[in-house]
Amino acid sequence: MAETQPAPIERRSLRAKPFSKADRAFFKSATWAANSSIVLVSLIFIFLMWRSWPAFESQGVDYIFGSTWDNNPENLVMQIGPMLWGSILVSTIGVVLAVPMAISLAYFIVFMANDRFGKIATVMVDLLAALPSVVLGLWGLLIFSPVAAGWAEMIYQGLGFIPIFDNSSGNFLRSPFIAGWVVAVMIVPIIASVTREIFSQLDRDLISASLALGAGRWSTFRRVILPTSGGGIVGGVLLGLGRALGETVAIFFVLNLVFEVNWFNILEDQGGSVASMILAKFGEAGQDEVAGLMAAGVVLFVVTLFVNMIASFIVAKAQPWRK
Amino acid sequence: MEKVAAMPIDPTPVARPKNAEPWKQISLSGIVTIVLASTVPLATGLLAMVLGLRFELALLFVFLPVQLLLGVLAGRRFSGKRGQADAILQIFVIFFAMSVVVLLVSVVWSVVERGSAALSWQFITQNNVYISGQTSLEYGGLGHAIIGTLLIVLLSTIVTVPLGIATAVYLTETTGKTRSTVRTLIQALSGLPSVVAGLFIYAMFIASGLTQYVGWAGSLALIPLMLPTVTRVAEESLLLVPQELRNGALALGSSAWKAFWLVTMPAAKSGLITAVLLGVARIIGETAPLLVTTFAANNTNLNLFDGSIATLPTYLYTFIASNFDTAVQRAWGAAFVILILVAILFIAARVLSRKKTAKKAGKK
Repeated sequence: MAETQPAPIERRSLRAKPFSKADRAFFKSATWAANSSIVLVSLIFIFLMWRSWPAFESQGVDYIFGSTWDNNPENLVMQIGPMLWGSILVSTIGVVLAVPMAISLAYFIVFMANDRFGKIATVMVDLLAALPSVVLGLWGLLIFSPVAAGWAEMIYQGLGFIPIFDNSSGNFLRSPFIAGWVVAVMIVPIIASVTREIFSQLDRDLISASLALGAGRWSTFRRVILPTSGGGIVGGVLLGLGRALGETVAIFFVLNLVFEVNWFNILEDQGGSVASMILAKFGEAGQDEVAGLMAAGVVLFVVTLFVNMIASFIVAKAQPWRK
Repeated sequence: MEKVAAMPIDPTPVARPKNAEPWKQISLSGIVTIVLASTVPLATGLLAMVLGLRFELALLFVFLPVQLLLGVLAGRRFSGKRGQADAILQIFVIFFAMSVVVLLVSVVWSVVERGSAALSWQFITQNNVYISGQTSLEYGGLGHAIIGTLLIVLLSTIVTVPLGIATAVYLTETTGKTRSTVRTLIQALSGLPSVVAGLFIYAMFIASGLTQYVGWAGSLALIPLMLPTVTRVAEESLLLVPQELRNGALALGSSAWKAFWLVTMPAAKSGLITAVLLGVARIIGETAPLLVTTFAANNTNLNLFDGSIATLPTYLYTFIASNFDTAVQRAWGAAFVILILVAILFIAARVLSRKKTAKKAGKK
């Protein structure tokens, strides 16, 4: 950790030509396995697209932007606008809450804690990442929601005059605010572990130089650490955003899914989430409605894949030592 | 260069900074400042709570501002303007880091406390036949769900581990042209919404009428979720194997395959096992994909290829929504069992990776 390795000058290439049958089979199977991930992603897309095409065809563009869901089999109307917006809203709240916690945790582990504390905190981050979302959903529903509803009520009483903190129903449970908190708990470890990795690979000489020049912690953070690791942090945040957009079970328990766009009233007990909607509707959906849910899956898949691709591209760029 | 040379040299000596000679002992007043700055905010916060302020309000509007103010003052006393900014940074970092700790402890503690109340021998061995949300906790349990989870995860593991490790081999041991594409895709797959993975298998097999809800469909749905974890951790551990080892094996005349099988893989063994364990931990609590592919069952089903199978997450899911107290207790019990399984996998992975780092200590 302490001393940085010199950048590898040139990627090693296996110059030994595969000369035996076993070798050829070895390389072939590795290549096939690796390319199977490409096949997997295309298969997911093709099959979902195939099954959901009827829904896209019958609903048209309104599928994305409309806000009605009527499962009357005679006249099926399926539009996921509020759910899509709800996903974005909840994820945004989650990211806003998670980023300071995650970056602080990473900063604490790498720059403030001694070895022992750093290790404990690292184990903690990993443990938090390993908590299944259904367990977090249970916790969110039975333990956290009442507490967070109390916070929401306090915010409403104090800052209710600001439109985003308005609440007309008087019910503070099952709001995007609470769902955002639960999502934040899920994505903190993702952002924290990427950020920690990037922080710990920073050139220590740079930091020592900055401290030797008389800079304090803050100016070192602001002028040295952030500029060199900002890109990677953004990538980590995007990875967290991707996970937040796809979060299913936990949000299902703590959010009231309503097919009416809730633009920004985060304390109101109505919101949406594409992934949770799929789960909520799937049990009692007829064949045509399942096509509509598949279509929601396609939308979710495309959006998260896009976010994640950008994220991993940024993270890879910010970690040149990986190459 | 020229600019530097042209600069006139200031003849007056620079004032000695206040914080020079940090090895000098801190004066008594310094110690007092530190003690005051760390105890007074706590005391005022507690006082505010005693006076009837809610905990959250006391924390945010009494403790934090007082701590910030005193921290800034103390920082200023020790290292001037620089100290102020540092104090603010450190207070915020510790505050936010502590809030993560509080959240984690809250989750784990509530599961352990409530879950252990539901746990009993009969709860983890019996199945759920004739049990409803109102049945007393003395009857029925989640034995069938434990078996179902283990079977489904086992099948996913058997398929995913060779695939994931072979992909990692491709990424580290070869010079294939699609390496960066594969790496990006694997990374992107790690963010695949779990419900989409379930829908994919549903679309492929169940909607096509090839099969009903069945165990192996659930196993297949878990593969895209497990693959990225296995691949990434395996790749990391293979990258840690020193290049000299591989080159040495090749120089001794071994074929690339033999070099991998006899040298690289044994060297990375613990890392590869860690990859498997973390992959299993990743999928053992997945709910959404199983709900749309294997569904839930009440009886014990040992056959992955016939009929729906209960799993721990779906067991939890079916009881969570109920309003009856015993049902909720069953849900907590299931959450506790999942947590125990995750913890076992996790500790095993930790122990293995510690051994690895101990061996590599010389290198690091």
